Formats: sequence, structure tokens, C-alpha cells
Amino acid sequence: MAENPLRGVQVEALVLMRIIKHSSQAFPTTATGSLVGMDVNGVLEITNSFPFPTADAPTQDGPQDSNIAAAAPRAKANAVYQNEMIKYLREVNIDANNVGWYTSASMGNFININTIENQLFYQKEINERTVALVHDVSRSSQGGLSLRAFRLGASFVTAYKEGKFSTESLQKSGLRFQDILQELPVTIHNSHILTSLLHQLPTQPSKDEFEAPPNLASLLQDPNAPVPPLCPNFDSLDLSIDPFLEKSCDLLLESIENHHTELNNHQYYQRSLGREQAKITAWQQKRKAENAARTAAKQPPLPEDEWQKLFKLPQEPSRLEILLNSRQVEQYSRQVDGFTASVSGKMFAVKSNLLPGGGEGV
Amino acid sequence: MADTGSFLHLARPLAPAAIGSQPSTAPLNVTIQPQAIFSILDHSLRRSPDQERVIGTLLGTRSEDGTEVEIRNCYAVPHTETAEQVEVDMEYQEKMLSLHLKANPREVLVGWYATSGELNTFSALIQNFYGQQGEGTWPHPAVHLTVSSVPGKDIETRTYISAPIGVTSERAGDSCLFIPVPYEIRYSDADKSGLELISGARDREDRSAPVITDIETLERAIEQVVDLIGRVSNYVNEVLDEERPGSSALGQFLMNALSLAPKVDPTTIEKDFNNHIQDVLVVSYLANTIRTQIDLSNRLATAALTLGGGDALQGNEGKDGGDNNNRRGGDNRRGGKGRGQNRQQVEQ
Repeated sequence: MAENPLRGVQVEALVLMRIIKHSSQAFPTTATGSLVGMDVNGVLEITNSFPFPTADAPTQDGPQDSNIAAAAPRAKANAVYQNEMIKYLREVNIDANNVGWYTSASMGNFININTIENQLFYQKEINERTVALVHDVSRSSQGGLSLRAFRLGASFVTAYKEGKFSTESLQKSGLRFQDILQELPVTIHNSHILTSLLHQLPTQPSKDEFEAPPNLASLLQDPNAPVPPLCPNFDSLDLSIDPFLEKSCDLLLESIENHHTELNNHQYYQRSLGREQAKITAWQQKRKAENAARTAAKQPPLPEDEWQKLFKLPQEPSRLEILLNSRQVEQYSRQVDGFTASVSGKMFAVKSNLLPGGGEGV
Repeated sequence: MADTGSFLHLARPLAPAAIGSQPSTAPLNVTIQPQAIFSILDHSLRRSPDQERVIGTLLGTRSEDGTEVEIRNCYAVPHTETAEQVEVDMEYQEKMLSLHLKANPREVLVGWYATSGELNTFSALIQNFYGQQGEGTWPHPAVHLTVSSVPGKDIETRTYISAPIGVTSERAGDSCLFIPVPYEIRYSDADKSGLELISGARDREDRSAPVITDIETLERAIEQVVDLIGRVSNYVNEVLDEERPGSSALGQFLMNALSLAPKVDPTTIEKDFNNHIQDVLVVSYLANTIRTQIDLSNRLATAALTLGGGDALQGNEGKDGGDNNNRRGGDNRRGGKGRGQNRQQVEQ
């Protein structure tokens, strides 16, 4: 464990574009890849990336396909691929340290056992100071880019190593679902040469005086007409609400279903535990009565702890799934919050635009 | 982009083609995706100080007839260049190609890049290597992309294909005629949000920008739009006040744009607005309620209850489940008050 914890993640523009390209090409299946870079005083600089191959095991059905990609970062074959790729990248002076992996997500549905295991694999096997970058394709298509960096919390790693997620151990460690993933702030960094390239691209309509075009056709075909600018991105003004709400509801429902199933498992465990305990108590009482009878008859008493051999208490199901699910629900609802904030603003703007002066009557 | 120079692009030269196949002379169009350019620039930064230029392989897709080439990806290839000879690490190139094709089976070799605008004998040699039969791009021409990175000058990007020249077969190996072809840097919709962020950092001293939230993005976009509308209305006012000459073309354009505004009945707007805002708010409300419930459920499940010790705790868990169910029922009832299909889904 390094002495100073990671404070943030700095992503090179190149990496950002590569992740976006890979994720959007693979969408809606999950795309995963590896990140290389270096750690500079607690800021992880990610300077290059490459995708993991998923074509090795071509499958027909979709869900299995995405599972392969999702599990790719910790697959054995990919470790070889990754090492080979990094070896070659070193030859052309690219930072040859593996600093993590990336995955694509849709509407924030990335908190699952796959992500956790991948990151655990990285933090344990490769380097403690690694991150998982999550690029949300669906949310990025609405305007604002969604790129987040995560690490597993230290308390979670300890708990996972012990492999115990029982009620008791959770009570003892005080692990909550909020502690599973730590988010790190992400910044985007451009090289000098890229900055110079960006300054060559037209972004703002020029403020200079211009010649009025002679007719409409020439205006439309004017080569100097500003192309849709890179910044700002007017996609964020898009007013499509229903698809987002529908998807959010679906995902939330799914999470509730999961939660419910897990609760049922626990209830079942409680019931069988109760039954077993009732049986044990009955047995103990019987034994006590027997012993009392034997003492009265001056016989040696029978041992009273034999029940441990006779009865087996059921195993408590792991609470890991519930924890992850809770974290996922939290993620969804924060997402909905963010969406509500921007969309209600947009809607009020549209309304007062279409109904000038009528806004007060509502 | 920088000035690309002007050239006439009518047809491409006849390449040596297989007997029987129809050689095509249709013009070639090249599309470059931004990440390829970014990667080339990154590579040019990472070259050793004594290297004038570095080269690499371009990957991408090609349309069936070979007239459209899209450069999607690239990787660096080490090479050494002296006054007398050039050496390209062929083994590296092959290995890297197979590694890349493993991850991106749909991409093919389309050509190579160099980070200097200069074309010389070595360029021709490498060009012939990339365009050769077998591992090269043959029968399609190899695309050569140059991205100049001279300090103090604009970054110039050019694309070429080549035609064989050479009097004798010995000379043909290291000579070819580079023919400029038009290109276009095109970014997809998915790239837009990324590029926005990247270009947001261009005016900053530290050349970096934090990832901003949706609402900040929205704020920026709205500010920009307000600014643009202000400019247009300023212009219109000036024309009306006869301070500036009007332009019928601009007027027409503005009229066209204005006519796009939908004409709808105020009551319909009112109704739609109310429906949607209620949907949004209810979903948000429900999402947060669910979050609280789940949080509560977790806390109850692991809460250290003082009375009764372990048994009470375990008894509590079952209760917790039931409790949660009851509350879910409560949610449904609350959701049921509103209208709209979204709530219906929540109720399922």
C-alpha cells in the first residue's frame, strides 16, 4: 500500500476518444479495455489505452456475449494479450504501466459483481493503484460526457478477502454499501500539440464583419459558414424525456426485484434457522429432563452438548449481492436526480417560450 | 483545419491490377476519425529527440469498391532513418497488426502515417511496402497521411495515394508518385460530448478540464444560445433602424428558421407540459423513496439491536423484509394517484 492515496485521475484526450469510440461501437454490449499510464504524486495519469479482444469466443446470443466482454479484464487469455501489448507499446515510448481498465455502461448499470471482481483482480494482482474508468454511453449521448473513475474501498477489499458477508461480520466491520466504491475526480488533459490543433479548429462563429451573401443558396453552401461547434454541444438541449424515464424505471424495478429475491433468501434462512433452533431447544429440554430423571435415579448425566453434532445450522446467505444492489439503486436515483434537475429547467424554458406571458396562470 | 492546398481531384491513377479484374480509377475519399489524429500527435510527442519524424500504421474500414476509406485507428511503428537508409521494424508491424485485429476484427490495414509533411525517397519506399501484395493493402492503394508538427506553424494534415513510376524494375521499388486526395475529419455523435470537453480545456493554462455535470453542460449551452440569439436580434434591430444594409438571403434564412417553431394550441402545451413534469417529478420521487427504503433496509439488517442479543437481531431481519414489502405497497399507492404510463411501470 502506498503512503499517499490516489487523489485523482487525469485522462489524456486520446484515451477519452479511444474509450468513446470503442464503447459506442460495441454498444449495447459492454466494451472493456486496458489503460496504461503512470502515477505522479497521487494523480493517476492515463496516457493510452487499448481494447480487449472479445472475438476469441464468438457466441450467437447477446447476453453471453456481453458477459465475455465484461469478464474480459480478469480473463487469463487477456492477461497475456495485455502483457504483450504493453511490451510493444514500450518500444514506442508509451508509458508501459498498467494502471487500470475501462468499461462501458448504459444508464449507470455498472455496479455488479463483474465490475467488482475485475477491479479486485486489478487491485490485488496487478497493482494496488489502479482504477476502473466507467464511460456511460447512454448518458453521454444526451450531451454531457459521463466518465467516472472508481476504486474499491479498503474496507470492502478486506471484507472480500475474508469472503464473509454475513450480518455479523458486516456489523463488526461497519461496512456499508456506500463504502464499496470510491469515486475519484476525473480531469481531461490535452497535450500542447493537441491544444494547438484545437485552436486551429473553428469553434465560435467569428465576430468579424462579413459580407452579406447574395442569396439563400450561397448562404447554405458557404464554406466559411461555421460548422456545428465542438463547444458547446447543443445535444444537451435535447428535450427527450420519456426514453430516459422509461429506462430508469425499468432499471429501478429490476433492482427492486433483485432486492426482493435476496430478502426472500434471507427470510428463508431465518425460517429454517428458527426451525432448527426450536428443534435444538426441544432436544435440550428433553435431555435436561432426562438428566434430571437420571440424577434422581443416581445415574451419571448424559452430555448436554451433543446437539452440536445432531443438528446443523443453515449457512447464512452472503449479503454481498444486497450490498451491490443497494449501491446500484443509489446510483440510479442520483442519476434520476441529476436528470430531473436539468430537464425540469429545460421544460419550464420551453413552456414559457411557447406560451409567452401565460406562465403565471398555472 | 489548416489550409490543405488546392488540387484538382479527378481520378486516381491506374494501379497494377490483377488480370481480368476491372481496375478502378474512381476518385478516393478519405475520412479521418479524430482519435486517429490524436494518436498520431501523441506519437509525435513521444519520439526520440534525434528522430525527425515517426511513422505508424493506419487502420480503418474501406468501402467495397474502395472509393471510401475511413481511418479509425492507428498505432506507432518504430523505425530508424539515416541519410542513407531507412529501417522499419517489420516484425513489430506484423505483431502489432495481429494484436489490433484481434480486438477490432472489422478494421483492416489502410495505410500509414508520418509526422512530417515532407515526402522523400524513404516515403516512397515505405509507401510501396504498405501497398505491396500479400500483407499490404493491394489491390487497393495504400493511404499515406502526413501530419506535420513543426513548432510555431499550423498542424497540416494531408492524405496521399501513390502511383508507381520508375523506368526499370530496380528503381520502381523506391520511387512512386504521391497524389493528394481529399480528406475530411469527421466525428460521430458519440464523440461529440468528448470533444466538447476536450475543446473546453483548450484555453486553459494547465490544459486540463474537469468532467462537468449535466447541469453545468446545460448551463453553458444555454448561455451560448442566448449569446447567439442576442447577436441575431442585434443584427435584426440594426437593419430595422437602417444602420446596416439588410440582406434578403439572411432574412430568408431567418424566416425559414423561425417557421420551424411549432404552432400548437396553448391548452395542449399546458396539458403536455403538466403531464411530463409530473412524470419526471414522480419518477424522481419514487427513485429517492426506493433509495431511502433500501438504505433503511440495509441499516435495519445490520443494526446492532441491544435488546435480546442475537435472536432479536435475526428476528428483525425477517421483519425487515416484510416491512420493506409493506412500504413498497405504500409506494405503489402513492404512485397510483398520478397519471401516465411511467407510473404504471413502477407499479408492476
